[in-house]
Formats: sequence, structure tokens, C-alpha cells
Amino acid sequence: MNKSSAEAGRRRRFDQIVAVFHADMFRYAAWLCRDKAIAEDVVQEAMLRAWKSLDALRDDAAAKQWLLTIVRRENARYFERRRLETVDIDNLTASQAALLAVGPDEELNDLRESIFELDDDYREPLVLQVLMGYSTTEIGEMMGLKQGAVLTRLHRARLKLKENVAHEDRS
Amino acid sequence: MNCEEYRHRIAAEPSFDGGAGHLSECLACQAFRTELQSLDGKIARAMQIDIPTLSFPELPAIDTDNVVPLAPRAQRVRPAWFALAATVLLAAVVGIRMSGIGVSYESLADEVLAHLDHEPASLRPSITPVSDARITDVVPANVARLDHDAGLITYARSCKINGKTVPHLVIQGERGPITILLMPDEAVSKATSLDGENTHGVILPVGDGSIAIIGARDEKLERVEKSVLNSVMWST
Repeated sequence: MNKSSAEAGRRRRFDQIVAVFHADMFRYAAWLCRDKAIAEDVVQEAMLRAWKSLDALRDDAAAKQWLLTIVRRENARYFERRRLETVDIDNLTASQAALLAVGPDEELNDLRESIFELDDDYREPLVLQVLMGYSTTEIGEMMGLKQGAVLTRLHRARLKLKENVAHEDRS
Repeated sequence: MNCEEYRHRIAAEPSFDGGAGHLSECLACQAFRTELQSLDGKIARAMQIDIPTLSFPELPAIDTDNVVPLAPRAQRVRPAWFALAATVLLAAVVGIRMSGIGVSYESLADEVLAHLDHEPASLRPSITPVSDARITDVVPANVARLDHDAGLITYARSCKINGKTVPHLVIQGERGPITILLMPDEAVSKATSLDGENTHGVILPVGDGSIAIIGARDEKLERVEKSVLNSVMWST
């Protein structure tokens, strides 16, 4: 294979993988950082890093987890670099509020806000399980946790959301 | 398993299907489980957010000459007679599978799932559509008519299911590739769920035949099912 066709093949492979998993990358980044603009930056950085290390991905069937792991690292790097404050739910910036865009379903809006307010430790495994479809074992591998710790965090996250939903129903 | 253990587990994993003994005797835990499963559906909907249009960053040139390939997986050296014997055995197995002789599956669902394992190349993520000519070749007019509303078809091949040639198509879903097998001669009396290791799907009765639709475990297939059913019409 000559050099230009190898480069074109590499680019084609990258485009295909990113096209399929771009939505997952963005949703994961958005729920990690809770800011639409930062999520877009994180995904751009993650794509750049994925492009540079594409040759380390042996099997395209593992592309989703590989990309999400890169997004996770880029999100951590982003916050290390900027030393950003945590989100204050009562004083959201426009970019943070953009994630909580209000729809016609009030119950869903309240629930989205409750998820937004969850601690990072609880929100992330919930996103990986509910949105990305990973098992508790896989979440443990991605987050560097034992399965028992993942189960506890998921349990607490749901109970907190359940409690908030019940509270909204009462008020 | 007591109530506390069961509730801890179901709140961590609402799809948890263990603890059936306890569940059958405890109405409170049954109600808790239903409530948590309903909440999970709402959480999933609340987490769906608008996705911006995909735009690629400026990608630097990579010198493919200097890319160091990952070390190949370690292989044990085997004698030449082993390779010869393995080749003969493989040829025999492939021959038997291709002819359908001696291979029996307990159900159509088992055969469909086994077929996916035999064609892993079909499940590569892709955005490259197969040509219309290829689709016409795989889905001939005397078998079915296929509208293009089914989705972006990225793989099309004629395959054998239960000894009959069927069109095997793949479209791209939200969670990865979705396999569609058009089986005009495989009648099923009702929709049958498919449950693979990392996949799930359904075989839907359609006229005198059926259509299998299989996606990643977290793929929502309802919309795909509707669109496929609206796009396919048997010719006979």
C-alpha cells in the first residue's frame, strides 16, 4: 500500500468511527461537564487525540468505549487546565443553562435538573449505565472502581432522583 | 435475598432479573421495582439532549511511515502437520455449515444470532452506503421491494438462514450497526425477542415470512422496526 492510500484509509476509518459515535461523545461530555460550550471543546480535543492515537485501536468494535475513555480524560484535563469552579445551579451561565433547555414536559424538565444537580460521582455512572448502556462491570473498568462501589453509587443516584421526583410531586 | 438487599440491587440496576423468589412473595418490592423501572425510562429521556452538528477539528498530518504498529499478539509455533490438520478440519466445518448439513439450531432465533457471529465484518461502524446496484442484487425484485426509508444501508449480502438464501442488510443506528434479515419464507406466529451477548432484537412476523432486526444492547429498536416494516414489501 502506498503512502497516500494508507493516509486516506486512515482518515476514512477515523471519519466512520467518529460519525457513528459523535452523538455519544457529545452527550457523555455534556453530562460530565454540564456545559454545552465546554462539551463541544472537550469533544473537539478528544477527536484530535483520537486521531493521533488511532493506530492504538486494534478493533473498531471497541471504538465506542475507546472514544468515551478519551472524552473522559479530556474532560479531566480541561478542568485541570482551567481550574473551573463547580456548577452553581442557582447561577448558571447561558452555556450551562442551554443543557437544561425547557421542554413542554414539566416532569422531565425537573428530572433533568435533578440529574444536573447530582454529584459527579453519582451522575457519571448513571450516564454510563442509562445513556451509554454499559454494565456495572464495564463502568467499574472505565471509572477505575470495584463493581460494589459502582452499584452503591448507582443505588444512591436513583434514590436521590426518586426522592426529588416525589418532592416535586408534593409541591 | 431480603427486601433491603433486593431494593439496593434493583435501584442500582433496574434491569436486574435475580431475586425472583423474593419478588414473587413481596408485593412491596414488586411495586418498588415497577417504580424504579418507570423512573429509569424517564431518566433516559431526560438525558437526551440536542446534539450539535459534527464538525471535525483541523487534523494534523500523521506520518504513516513512522506509525509503529502494535506488536502482534503472541503466537505459539505449531508444527506443519497441525496447520494442515486444522485447515482440513476448518474446510470440513465450513463446508458442512455452508450446506446446512448436520447443523441444527433449536430455533430460528438461535440461528439468527449465530449467523451474526459468523459475519463480524458486517458490524463495523460505517457511513459508506452500499451501491443501489448491490442492494438490487441482494434484494431482488422477485423477493421484496425495499424503499430507501429504512436507513443508511452500509452492508448488503445474500446469506443462508435455515438453508434458504435471505438478504442480510445492515443500517447504522444510534448505538452502532443494526442487522436486518429479510426472511420471506420463514413464518413466525408472533414477534420473538432475541437476546445475544451484547445484542438484542426481535423477529417480526411479516405476511408469510418474517424480518429479524438486531442492534446493540442499548439500541432503541422500536423506531427502526416501524421504519423497516414501512420500507419492506414481499413480492410474492
